[in-house]
Amino acid sequence: MNPPDNGVASFQPVHRPDGSATYTCPLTGFNVLGAVNAPIELPARRDALKPEEATLEVFVKPATSSPAVGERYVEGILRNLLGAIILGREKGFPRRGVVLTLAVLEGGDSKATGRGSSYLTLLPALLHTALLALLSASVPMSMYFTTTIIAVTPSGEIICKPSIKDADEAASVHVLAFSSKGHLLLTESEGSFDFDTWEKVHDRALTICHLPEEASAGNGKVEYAVGSTWQKWLAESVEDYIGFKYAYEFA
Amino acid sequence: MATPVYLLPGDEVPSDRLPPTSNAPLRLGPGLRLLSKSHSRSTKAAPSDHVIVATEAGLLKTDLKRNAASVLTFPNRRYIATPNDLVIAQIHHSSQDYFHCMVTPHAPHALLGQLAFEGATKKTRPMLKQGDLVYARVLSVGVGAGAEVELACVNPATGKAEPGGLGPLTGGMVFDVSVGTAARLMKGSSASAANQQDPVDGLVVLEELGKKLESIGGFEIAVGRNGKVWVDCSNGGDSAIRATVAIGRCLTMIDDHDLSPIDQKKAIARILKEMKLDL
Repeated sequence: MNPPDNGVASFQPVHRPDGSATYTCPLTGFNVLGAVNAPIELPARRDALKPEEATLEVFVKPATSSPAVGERYVEGILRNLLGAIILGREKGFPRRGVVLTLAVLEGGDSKATGRGSSYLTLLPALLHTALLALLSASVPMSMYFTTTIIAVTPSGEIICKPSIKDADEAASVHVLAFSSKGHLLLTESEGSFDFDTWEKVHDRALTICHLPEEASAGNGKVEYAVGSTWQKWLAESVEDYIGFKYAYEFA
Repeated sequence: MATPVYLLPGDEVPSDRLPPTSNAPLRLGPGLRLLSKSHSRSTKAAPSDHVIVATEAGLLKTDLKRNAASVLTFPNRRYIATPNDLVIAQIHHSSQDYFHCMVTPHAPHALLGQLAFEGATKKTRPMLKQGDLVYARVLSVGVGAGAEVELACVNPATGKAEPGGLGPLTGGMVFDVSVGTAARLMKGSSASAANQQDPVDGLVVLEELGKKLESIGGFEIAVGRNGKVWVDCSNGGDSAIRATVAIGRCLTMIDDHDLSPIDQKKAIARILKEMKLDL
C-alpha cells in the first residue's frame, strides 16, 4: 500500500488519452488529473517543430479560473524540467509532439488557487502527476524524478511537510526536485532566506527525495533508508498497477 | 519463477536477470537501451563497460530461447502502425489508385492499393465500398512525422495472400478490444497450432468458445493488431447473430475486467446462458 503521507496515485483513470494519472496530495488536498498523448502528430504546428526531437507541450488548467499568466509560468517550469528527462529522439518521436495536460480538479483551499497567489504549494502535485501520466503513456525517459516542498518558519525551523497554512505563514518556501540519480533538477524558492538556510533545505530535501545509492544497488527487496519514501512510493505505485495488469505473466 | 523485476526509467537492469551470455547477441526490446558506463562510482570491477538501462516503466521480461529482453510497459496504448502487423481496416473512400482506410481513430488514413489483392488485375479487382472491411498487412509506415501508412492484402514477392486469410472480410461483425488484448489473442492463435495444452498469456477464451459453439457450426475470427476483432458465424443458422454477439460480449468483458482463466470460463458460461446458446 502507498504510505498515506505521500498521497494517492491512480493510473489510467480516463481511457481516450495514451496515458493518464491522478494524484491527490494529502497535505494540501490538491487533486490533479494528468493526461499525455505521445507521440502525436501536431499538423498545425509543423513549421514550428524541431526536426530531430519531439516537441513537448504542457497545459495547466486551474480549478476555478481560466488559464492565465500564473499557469503560463508553471507550464514553463514543467516544460524545462520534463524536457530535460524525456528522450525526444527515440524512434517515432522526432517531429512529433508530447502533449501533457494537467487539470486541477480540487484545490485544498479555495484561496490557494485564486488569481495571483503562489504556485509553489501546487507545484509538487503538478510535477508528480506529470511524471505518473508520462510513465503510464510509456514515454521514454532517461530517468525519473521526485520532488518535495519545504517551508522555513520565521524562527528558522524547517517544516518538511507544510500544509497550505504553514506555507502562508513561512518566511520562505522552497520546491526542489531530484532525479533518480540524485541530480538537482529544479529549485524554486519564494520569500527571504540566506544561503545557509538554502543549503539546509537542500540537504533535507535530498534525504526525502533521493534513495542513497547503497540502498538501491540491490534493486530487489531492500531496506529503504528512513525518510527517503518518495522513490519507494513511486516504485510501489507502478508495481501495484503493472503487477495487476500482467498477472497472467506469473501464472 | 524468480521474483519479478519492476523497472522505472533510468533503472539499471540487474545483470543476473539477463539471459546468460552466449554467442548470439542479446536482443533489446522496446523500453531498454544500452549505455556505456562513463563514470563508474562503484569500486567493484564491472564485467563490462556497458549497462542496460530502462527508459520506460514496467516489468522486465526475458526470453531465453530468443536471447531477448524487453519491458512490459503500461498497457492500453493507442495502436501505432509497425510493418508486418496484421490489421483490420475499414474503407473510408476510394480514389484512382488507392483505397483510403481507417486503421486507428483520429489518425490520418492508411493507403491500400487497388491492385494489392490476390489475383487482382486492372479488369478484375475487388470493388470495395465505403465501410467495407479488409484484413491487411502493414507494408510500410514511411519515415518521420506525416508519413503515409501503406497496407497490402498480398505478398508483393509471391502474389499470394500471405499469411492466408488476407483480403476483404464479408459478413460478420467487428468488436473493439484493447491493443494489448488483441496482441495476446494473436499470440495465442499462432502458438496453439504448435502446442494445444497451455493457455497462452492467460487467455482461454477462444478455445473455450470454440468448444461450446461447435454444435452450432463454429465461428470464424480475425484479429487485427489495431484492437479490432472480426467475428462471423455464418454456419450458425438461426442462432448465428446471437452467437456473434455473444462472442463479442465475451471478448469485451474479458478485456475490460482483466479476467483470470477461471473467471473467463465462468463469464463465457454466463453470457452463453443469457443469450440462450448453452445447448
